[in-house]
Amino acid sequence: MRRFPNWTLNKLLVGAVPACVLLGVATGHWTVGAGAAAAALCALAIRNPNWRPRWKWQVAEPTDENNQTVDWSPPPAPRPPTARRAAADDSLVEQMIAQGREALLLRPQIAANLNETDLASAQVALDEAMAIVPQGAVNMRARCYDDFEEADAPRGERLVQVEGFFLDRFPVTNAQYQLFVSQGGYEQMSLWDESIWPAVLGFTDETGQPGPRLWQQSKHPHGKEDHPVVGVCWYEAAAYARWAGKRLPTDPEWVKAGCWPVATEANKPVQRKYPWGDAMDRRLVNLWGNGVNDTVAVTASPGSGSVGGVQQLVGNVWEWTSSSFGTWEPTGRKVETAAPLKSIRGGAFDTYFDNQAGCQFQSGEAPLARKHNIGFRCCLGFCDVTLSSPSPGRGTSAAAATEREEVHA
Amino acid sequence: MTTHGTLEMDSYRLAAYTVPCPCYICGGGNNFDAELCRHCHAPMALAHQATTQKIHPRMVAAIGPSGAGKTVYLGMLTDMLSRQVDDLQMLARGAFSIKLQQHAMAALSRCEFPNKTPNEPDRWNWVHCQVLRKRQKPAELIMPDLAGEALLEEVDHPNTFPVIRSFLAKCSGVMVLVDAPNAESGQSDEDFHTMKLISYLCELVTDKRNGWATRPVSLIFTKGDQCENCFEDPAAFARRHTPGLYQQCRERLKRHRFFAVGVAGQCGFRNEAHGRVHVPLRVEPRGIIEPFKWLLQEMGT
Repeated sequence: MRRFPNWTLNKLLVGAVPACVLLGVATGHWTVGAGAAAAALCALAIRNPNWRPRWKWQVAEPTDENNQTVDWSPPPAPRPPTARRAAADDSLVEQMIAQGREALLLRPQIAANLNETDLASAQVALDEAMAIVPQGAVNMRARCYDDFEEADAPRGERLVQVEGFFLDRFPVTNAQYQLFVSQGGYEQMSLWDESIWPAVLGFTDETGQPGPRLWQQSKHPHGKEDHPVVGVCWYEAAAYARWAGKRLPTDPEWVKAGCWPVATEANKPVQRKYPWGDAMDRRLVNLWGNGVNDTVAVTASPGSGSVGGVQQLVGNVWEWTSSSFGTWEPTGRKVETAAPLKSIRGGAFDTYFDNQAGCQFQSGEAPLARKHNIGFRCCLGFCDVTLSSPSPGRGTSAAAATEREEVHA
Repeated sequence: MTTHGTLEMDSYRLAAYTVPCPCYICGGGNNFDAELCRHCHAPMALAHQATTQKIHPRMVAAIGPSGAGKTVYLGMLTDMLSRQVDDLQMLARGAFSIKLQQHAMAALSRCEFPNKTPNEPDRWNWVHCQVLRKRQKPAELIMPDLAGEALLEEVDHPNTFPVIRSFLAKCSGVMVLVDAPNAESGQSDEDFHTMKLISYLCELVTDKRNGWATRPVSLIFTKGDQCENCFEDPAAFARRHTPGLYQQCRERLKRHRFFAVGVAGQCGFRNEAHGRVHVPLRVEPRGIIEPFKWLLQEMGT
């Protein structure tokens, strides 16, 4: 039996209503006509409970000269560099780029399977999100460096060689971390150190859902999308970095990005105290003295960038590094703690003294602590990614990095 | 040869010596040129300011067991209030009033805690300051940095330190500092020491209308960075970890409130020649001003 399509039957039923009324009036059997019209309406209602007649005239969409539809919707707001959205119909590559996981695509094993367009997109995204820090030596100072007499000063510092790497231009934001949480980052046990598995269940927000300590219902605080994520322990930061295909920076890497050492003829490189220079400028940083007493957006102080373009290294939030606290202290001057601490750097919005927000100042925190003023940013070694178009000073692959080392040697 | 002029000057000086200059804290007589009161060792500058400038400051005490963090708290409080341009501001009166702030801040900026306050009252730091508030009259306050051991000695053996006794009797409000990590770890000493202090206060001035039962007392859990949960609900923390103190406050003090503060973000210790020394790994003050602000409101200054 042939079946009418839905829309045809609907039209017949709609047409039947006035027809029945007219027939009833014309023939004088208006009760029969009204009854038939009512029956048609009932049938229509049962078939399409959500159907609404479109009485409005269809207005033609305005078109441009090429007869294409013109989009009258307001232009999208300029998006901060840390928050991007993926559309549902995006390809997997596009989705991963939108999630800030382009580093995964550029891993040699995966990059080999990508076409040139996707590879180029991933590289552009990486360039946007991360700044380059070239290889070189960095002078790491102990906390007690200032206590030493001039003759003894070398005891309090150590020259460390650092390979070239990419560092996130901004700390990881709430919006970025939200993607990790929404994608089930807390359930993917492969992202977490095996030793910490029993504790992962306890990494919950204020409502008992997985997420940073100060979130609610696994959602970040409203209006703080572009603020750095806080209330995450070292393990959560490391898991996010792994999910994004990156890692946490080591202590020397972090210091090198901020101090930007310049090798001179002297024994040790010339380094900056703060990313922008040697003097504190309170207008550039969010510390206690500014009176904000809370985190600000990661894009709030564009002038505070380092030479390489890494923003907000100082102030706003402390940043986890992968190193242990106290590594640079000379023997006999070690600060002991009840449990081993991880190194944090850069000061936060409630850091009281300017000198404790300098690039060389190291503080420590227990790796399981989920403090209100500690966030993180990720990094990636040159040798960890494949770049198709090499540029001067930048590594292109593991092989290229090795080759460069040989040239230097 | 006679020296009339010299004799005349001497006689004036001798005359001045005969007029006693009462100490502002203990009321004991002193010479006009004394720097510290010979009875209680409080700075005589307070008395001179009271007589010459007609300033009659009110007194606020920060008390607590030894090591509770009185010096750090007062130093941090005075520094924060003198640095920030907010609804509460502090201006020191007299150079001696800046010594505590200088001493505490110099140590903290080096990532060290200030040295223990000595027991001798003549070595204590006194702060005399003017507190400015929006739409309110400025308040004149005196806040000494009392030694914890001296406080407990006075509590156990009254009149050992007359300066403490006379000062606490005249105080308009008091901040009682309690070491939160010690309390949390179940060390009942912390509870007993603070109970003794509250008990001492209540016995000191028993007057029903003006006694300590009606004066404001802020109870402050210090070192909150080492036990984060005391920030969530200080009163509940007190009920759990210092039940004796909590009960005594409820029964004996009509105007009291619990607070939590933290100065160091994290602490470690270093082995020095004279033993283990605690060191702050960074300084990030939390909740420092609230107890003081509440006390000022309650004092009605």
